[in-house]
Amino acid sequence: MKPILLQGHERSITQIKYNREGDLLFSVAKDTVANVWYSVNGERLGTYNGHTGAVWCVDCDWDTKNVLTGSADNSCRLWDCETGKQLALLHTNSAVRTCGFDFSGNIIMFSTDKQMGYQCYLNFFDLRDPQQIDDNQPYLSIPCSDYKITSAVWGPLGEFVIAGHENGEINQFSAKSGEILKKAKEHTKQINDIQTSVDLTMFISASKDNTAKLFDSTSLDHIKTFKTERPVNSAAISPIMDHVVMGGGQEAMEVTTTSTRIGKFEARFFHAAYEEEFGRVKGHFGPINCVAFHPDGKSYSSGGEDGYVRIHYFDPQYFDFELEA
Amino acid sequence: EFVEIPLQNDKQVQTSVSDLLDDILREKPQEADGIDSVVVVDNVPQVGPERLEKLKNVIHKIFSKFGKITTEFYPEADGMTKGYIFLEYAAPTQALEAVKNADGYKLDKQHTFRVNLFTDFDKYMNISDEWETPEKQPFKDFGNMRHWIEDSDCRDQYSVIYEAGERTAIFSNDAKEPITVEERARWTETYVRWSPKGTYLATFHQRGIALWGGEKFKQIQRFSHQGVSLIDFSPCERYVVTFSPLMDTKEDPQAIIIWDILTGQKKRGFHCESSAHWPIFKWSHDGKFFARMTQDTLSIYETPSMGLLDKKSLKISGIKDFSWSPGDNIIAFWVPEDKDIPARVTLMQMPSRQEIRVRNLFNVVDCKLHWQRNGDYLCVKVDRTPKGTQGVVTNFEIFRMREKQVPVDVVEMKESIIAFAWEPNGSKFAVLHGESPRINASFYHVKNNGKIELIKMFDKQQANSIFWSPQGQFMVLAGLRSMNGALAFVDTSDCTMMYIAEHYMASDVEWDPTGRYVVTSVSWWSHKVDNAYWLWTFQGRLLQKNNKDRFCQLLWRPRPPTLLSVDQIKMIKKDLKKYSKIFEQKDRLSQSKASKELVDKRRAMMEDYRRYRETALQIYQEQKSVRLELRGGVDTDELDSNVDDWEEETIEFFINEEIIPIGDL
Repeated sequence: MKPILLQGHERSITQIKYNREGDLLFSVAKDTVANVWYSVNGERLGTYNGHTGAVWCVDCDWDTKNVLTGSADNSCRLWDCETGKQLALLHTNSAVRTCGFDFSGNIIMFSTDKQMGYQCYLNFFDLRDPQQIDDNQPYLSIPCSDYKITSAVWGPLGEFVIAGHENGEINQFSAKSGEILKKAKEHTKQINDIQTSVDLTMFISASKDNTAKLFDSTSLDHIKTFKTERPVNSAAISPIMDHVVMGGGQEAMEVTTTSTRIGKFEARFFHAAYEEEFGRVKGHFGPINCVAFHPDGKSYSSGGEDGYVRIHYFDPQYFDFELEA
Repeated sequence: EFVEIPLQNDKQVQTSVSDLLDDILREKPQEADGIDSVVVVDNVPQVGPERLEKLKNVIHKIFSKFGKITTEFYPEADGMTKGYIFLEYAAPTQALEAVKNADGYKLDKQHTFRVNLFTDFDKYMNISDEWETPEKQPFKDFGNMRHWIEDSDCRDQYSVIYEAGERTAIFSNDAKEPITVEERARWTETYVRWSPKGTYLATFHQRGIALWGGEKFKQIQRFSHQGVSLIDFSPCERYVVTFSPLMDTKEDPQAIIIWDILTGQKKRGFHCESSAHWPIFKWSHDGKFFARMTQDTLSIYETPSMGLLDKKSLKISGIKDFSWSPGDNIIAFWVPEDKDIPARVTLMQMPSRQEIRVRNLFNVVDCKLHWQRNGDYLCVKVDRTPKGTQGVVTNFEIFRMREKQVPVDVVEMKESIIAFAWEPNGSKFAVLHGESPRINASFYHVKNNGKIELIKMFDKQQANSIFWSPQGQFMVLAGLRSMNGALAFVDTSDCTMMYIAEHYMASDVEWDPTGRYVVTSVSWWSHKVDNAYWLWTFQGRLLQKNNKDRFCQLLWRPRPPTLLSVDQIKMIKKDLKKYSKIFEQKDRLSQSKASKELVDKRRAMMEDYRRYRETALQIYQEQKSVRLELRGGVDTDELDSNVDDWEEETIEFFINEEIIPIGDL
């Protein structure tokens, strides 16, 4: 099936995310715009207007009621998903790099960059306590003095946040006490993206060190490594197959003026257990910044440096494909 | 003591007298020791008083070339000169010049001067009369230096420098994947070189070079040459020549040193006379001679004495370039036009210096010498500007070395030449000509009947380099660097393109010594990303892509010449079918072993993974109640857990777009 092309951004895509049921796809970009689309046909549902700087991150709660975005305009904003109304504006001292709702949808976390004399912080707000929002007072604020957080996701039950750092470290921060529960230093360079499996039991980390790695969410045990020759910008785990998809790691190709409609930058598919690459999908005209699987595993999306989001539905051969074992 | 020195702008500066006078003091004439500037000349004709004046004039004429003679002394006995004289120069450096240049000077048939420094006599006189037997050195056993040739699967080795030079590794080439033989950090400081027969690996260091070899790559020898930057081996692997751009003194030439590899001794040092291409010394194919070219001179030395052949260099006025035949002790050189004398190429036999062939060339702009690897042919590429024209045309003058009187055939080329290469052991050559983007590849065959036939021309090629297989017949036309790594694999037996491929931004192409494999690579030294080397078969089938962090250089280890006689090789070729069968069976076994290994590996990985997933899912199930609580009793474990919650919606799909012009409005 031909991919669906979403043209709603004028600058590079920074993150894309499906809601839990997969009918909606959110995209945010450097052009300050946050969009939401119907994933089935690519029709745009709407835009969340308000940010005045590049939007770095987006998340949607499990019930598809609220949307959270973080931006370089030093704010983290809460929105009503359906109406697009801005529900809360939390000012910060530096750019908000990563954000997310916990399993219950009641607690939000976001991290701020180390910038202009301000440290990197991991902040927690309880949405059930309006005072926190009104006073812009997180109930917990964890400073990260050494290497800033570059990507973070919630653990399976809202007890901790799994954060990836500039230097390749991965830490589990308790959402109650703020202490570091577990550490893992498997990557040698910056973590660009962390995404959980659909059941949250494991996550995949994409790193500038040309690899992506699979970890157990609770124990932080390193399970698998997927190697490429270039930095990996984003990785995701298939909900129904033993596959992972990666974006950003591509070999340089001759970009001639004759290649018009199909770009040469590829998303790469690896077998999760064998760690072997088995397929590539071309299409983007620039590096791929973000990939995501649809929760039903029958399609995936990618957002690129070229400002496009592409939704790909898999052919039947994809589900039948097997490596000899 | 200080003085005040008035300056132009009336400022005054104080300086010490000694500072001022230092410059002048340095030039103060030194009281000469005297004896350092004295030379002794032997084998001077013994003459009586009537011929003494004439003798002195002759001597003076010869020896004042090297400096100012301040004193001369002609000892006499019984009314005749004794046959040796003393000359004093104004400075020791001049005396040295005299020794260097006049020693061995042939005055006439009976008198060849021997010139020495007076101080040398002292030195040699003081050598002890007692003979001290040199201490016996313990025998250093380096093991089997040819160990790598005995690999049962006939794998060739190659060296790889990566991590920007931090790591050097030696691999054994297996079609499946490289097998690491040795890997060391900081093994070399710049790059490595193999000796011509593959016995040694040379590494570079600030203090000199080291040679490694044997099964474990132990250090065989070390040569101390501060700041060494270039080396060259003699083809026989007996000698190695090192070059360092650092200072050397007039008395002790240090720029270029020739070493004996087995003993580690420094055999001779040379100055670097002029800037030239390395190697400055060119070796004859058997290592018996080495030669270099300086202004109007060709100096040929012989081994093992390291002395000038016939004690003098050849004066060849205007000599521009020379090279040895790779198969015989013949030197080819060319000189440009000189007034009325046309330019010419000369073939000279060594050591007899007999001119085998001379070829006159007219209106020459430049020449390049290309020998076929066995010395069967010499191609002289001649760039000429024909009379009455402005442009430059190129001819190839093909010398047939194996035929009587070395006949020469000419091939005229209409376009400018980009590359030329002989088939290593055959009689074909390939030429890349034209100008980008219209580059053509032409293949010629030098036939026995005196003709040179153009077999085929491929036009519009993306190529700037030619790489023949060392065994001949096959070759790769490559467009390296700016041509983005275009590759064409050609079979010249029928001039067909076997395969066209690309290794984007490839900077190098290297054939293995057997001609079975080709490596293309992207070196970090020329391109900072995608550094890797790819392995292909000679037919252009890609076998491996090996990415290496900051990969710099790959060099195949050369093989020593075969021990088989021509007849033995003929026999093997006759029985090739029999051998092929055995090898194919071996290959199939190893292939299925590989797939079996891979399959087993995958099975094990899957089992581990399944086990992990089972444990994780078990914990997941146990946590269900917590999940329900967190989401207010809503079960979200499966996508279809809440069918009641579903809504029906109608959605539109974009099918087609049609633009219908409404006409003029």
